[in-house]
Amino acid sequence: MKKKAHFKADEARTALGVFKGLEVRIGEIVDDEWDEPMGPTPMPSPTGLRSWDHKLLSKYQPSYMPYCQVCCLCTFGKCDLSGDKRGACGIDMKGQQARIVLAAANIGNAAHLAHARHLVDHLIDEFGPQTNLIQGPGTEIHAPVSRLATGMRPRTLEDAAIILDYCESQLAHTLSAVHTGQEGSWLDFESKVFHVGMIDQISMEIADLAQISTFNFPQADPKAPLVDSGIGMMDTNKAIILTIGHNIVPAASITDYIAEKKLGGQVEVGGMCCTAWDITRRDPSAKVVGPISWQLRYIRSGKADVVVVDEQCVRTDVVPEAQKVEAPVISTSDKAVMGLPDRSDDPIDSIVEELVSGKIPGAYIHDHHKVGAVATKVALAVMPKRRKMKFFPTKKQIQKMAQDCKKCSECIRSCPNNQPIMEAVLAAQTGNFEPLRDVYRNCIGCARCESACPNGYDLHSWMVVAAEKDCKDEIYKLRTGRGAIQDTEIRSVGQPIVFGEIPGVIAHVGCANYPGGGEDIYEMAEEFAKRRYIILTSGCAAMSAGSVKDENGQSIYERRGGEFDAGCVINVGSCVSNPHIAGAAIKIAAIFAKRNLRGNYAEIADYIHNRVGAVGISWGAMSQKAASIASGFWRLGVPVIVGPHGSKYRRMLLGKKEDEEAWTVYDARTGEKVVTAPGPEHLFYAAETVAEANVMTAKLCIRPNDTSKGRSIKLSHYIDIHENSYGFFPDDVWKYIRRETDIPITLKDKILDQMKENKWKERTIPDPTLLKELVMGGGK
Amino acid sequence: MVMKPVPWQTGEICGPDSAKSLNKADQLKRTFAKSKKPLLIVGSEAASMTHGTGDMIDYAISLSEASKIPVVATGGAIKAFIERGYEGCKSIGAMELANYLQDESWLGPHGKGPHDLILIYGIPYYMQWTLLSAVMNFGTHLTKVSLGRYYQPHADWSFPNTKEKQWHDILDDILDVV
Repeated sequence: MKKKAHFKADEARTALGVFKGLEVRIGEIVDDEWDEPMGPTPMPSPTGLRSWDHKLLSKYQPSYMPYCQVCCLCTFGKCDLSGDKRGACGIDMKGQQARIVLAAANIGNAAHLAHARHLVDHLIDEFGPQTNLIQGPGTEIHAPVSRLATGMRPRTLEDAAIILDYCESQLAHTLSAVHTGQEGSWLDFESKVFHVGMIDQISMEIADLAQISTFNFPQADPKAPLVDSGIGMMDTNKAIILTIGHNIVPAASITDYIAEKKLGGQVEVGGMCCTAWDITRRDPSAKVVGPISWQLRYIRSGKADVVVVDEQCVRTDVVPEAQKVEAPVISTSDKAVMGLPDRSDDPIDSIVEELVSGKIPGAYIHDHHKVGAVATKVALAVMPKRRKMKFFPTKKQIQKMAQDCKKCSECIRSCPNNQPIMEAVLAAQTGNFEPLRDVYRNCIGCARCESACPNGYDLHSWMVVAAEKDCKDEIYKLRTGRGAIQDTEIRSVGQPIVFGEIPGVIAHVGCANYPGGGEDIYEMAEEFAKRRYIILTSGCAAMSAGSVKDENGQSIYERRGGEFDAGCVINVGSCVSNPHIAGAAIKIAAIFAKRNLRGNYAEIADYIHNRVGAVGISWGAMSQKAASIASGFWRLGVPVIVGPHGSKYRRMLLGKKEDEEAWTVYDARTGEKVVTAPGPEHLFYAAETVAEANVMTAKLCIRPNDTSKGRSIKLSHYIDIHENSYGFFPDDVWKYIRRETDIPITLKDKILDQMKENKWKERTIPDPTLLKELVMGGGK
Repeated sequence: MVMKPVPWQTGEICGPDSAKSLNKADQLKRTFAKSKKPLLIVGSEAASMTHGTGDMIDYAISLSEASKIPVVATGGAIKAFIERGYEGCKSIGAMELANYLQDESWLGPHGKGPHDLILIYGIPYYMQWTLLSAVMNFGTHLTKVSLGRYYQPHADWSFPNTKEKQWHDILDDILDVV
């Protein structure tokens, strides 16, 4: 393989002297040891896979739901795009919606890519460019996403840097397409959404590969440690350092410092959002405090003595919130400085003194080597004083304050989930705190109710007070992120997945913007795990899945295995671990079907789309990162379901089941066009309720390649879940029957009646592909 | 309570077009008279919204029976209809519906279309907001009446954010008008 290398260093010390502003370009590096032939699309440009994208987009056409009817991105506007109007630049409503979707996916990818770049640059500084990238035992096909998309197999940090160069160039192109007077077609905007989604998967894979290789994380380990989680798990007899965000580097300096100084008996570290996963992957004695939506409740509890933020999904009011409880804040990322003074170049003891004395509310320290010492010393120094403080009002105080409620409903109107906050406040007037406690259970922690309250009530804090006991009881055991799936595991389950006998692979990923509390994630995961689907988790969803205990007090991770196998629940890790999920699907094509991966994107995506019954669910999808992660799955042909708030992404990708042409594939054996059942029926879908999500999940696992046995199993689950959720036998089962052997035996009579009623005819089971060139003989 | 035609969820403001306030059932007389093929859409929250001695599923059944309007339920709301022995209801996802409603030739879940009027309530506020945005922008052949209690700007007619009793009273009046 030939690839271009390019690296820069602000200052390089060599035997020849010190070079400032060093920049080296090497024309080509040859990877002579890899004999896998190069596929047709290594490192594709934004239009390199356009043809594949258009195939998917003609099958799953965008359904736009404009979030507003105007465009206000340039000074021509605001332009009214309602009706058939076009803006001053010529764009129409569909184009504008697709443009905003692309902008969101670009933003999401930028966050992951900048994260990856920071990690790789930092690790090259620490360990050198030739440091090996290791995914773990049994992962000969390591970095499957990078192999597939770039044609490179990244074996060192230097390789990783080269791949990130490619990603950065692509992000620049797709971001530029959003500019006024660039792309004008909704279809090509959408194709670029897929492209940046693929780039996002590569960026995340590189980030996780780099940190797994250097930070002593579990390496493809099904028995990754069970770690403590929950607000109630934090030991307030120790000084507590709370880390929030996604980037392990500053948090690792804290756990390293504590270990080096043997301070584990006096200080503990808890994490929120993905930093929580990554610190526990590095140090299982660290704790997962909770998902993104718990930030405010934990900061306000005052239990965290120091708050250290890195990047992504950090509350942007973290400094004033921490100030309320006199907890110093340390910001560590140039992406989220939070207005704090830069103390990076100051001596550690001087920074500590300023923070402990309260002279400054926090400090920006980009030198991660100092963060561990500063955070630990400050936490130890402020902890004794802070433990004597009370930060929440008492119930009596709340009851008194609540008497002045103006009953204006503004708290309800501002609540994303329309929670009955006002009614709960009115109940608190009488000393009844149960309604506030109920609100807490469904609260996503945004505190918009407080901003809206004309009385300035700290409503979120009131909910936490009402649910004090629940907070104490939030004690769980979660399995930390294992990283990749082993090739050997794929070998065991590849065939049953492709034949449909393991009915599906379901991944719960993403944020915590849940419509009705985090327990929904557990309910959905358990529903399908008990049906022997393979369940994967990552990010905040992985925390929520584990935050319910059964009658024996065990979490789903304690009860179910961590192997990639039927009925197991596998936490891959943080947001940047998501490509291990895509990677598992890709590796099925390589291992089970012996397809070449290298630079062979369209063929493998076609394989996955038609054969691997995988579905992503992001029930609480909130961010632009969630949008870019989903986009990466779409390009692989993997459907994604989001919760009702996901409708605000303003565009679905939906199939129409009655449109036979859309469900027509080539039979790779004969070249004939064969009409298949509508499966998967949609590529991006917001479900209104858990019931609907469950029905849709079972349905979206159906693939054209299912064997009769596999189809029968999948239909059994679909029918059962449909009947339980909707109360009636689904009327579209006949569409999914190709031969009578597809019929679930126990439901034969009902289905035969339905088939007769709809004049069913037997159909061929093809070797399905959307790509004519994959037909034997090249499709000529 | 804000008795104004402003979005119930305060951030959900929209573009130049917005719904007329529905303050009396009579305002819908002309709309109903003009419509040949209406469709009633009922979301998952209807079962937890009380109305009189029943709930908004019962109301849907009454409305459907009063006017022979076919009913489609989203998000699994159909289960409540079936439990009440009402068999005329069909089920579809809200997002699927948002897509189909953009198609002027769509015959609807009962095959009785193409529809020219939709009556809608019971889908989570923000999701109904997005569904109606799709219809307002791309399903311009349809007249859209929101029968939920809170203002939906993307409808043609919507209750402003309305006091509960007044809302129920007008809903009952609609049964007579329709």
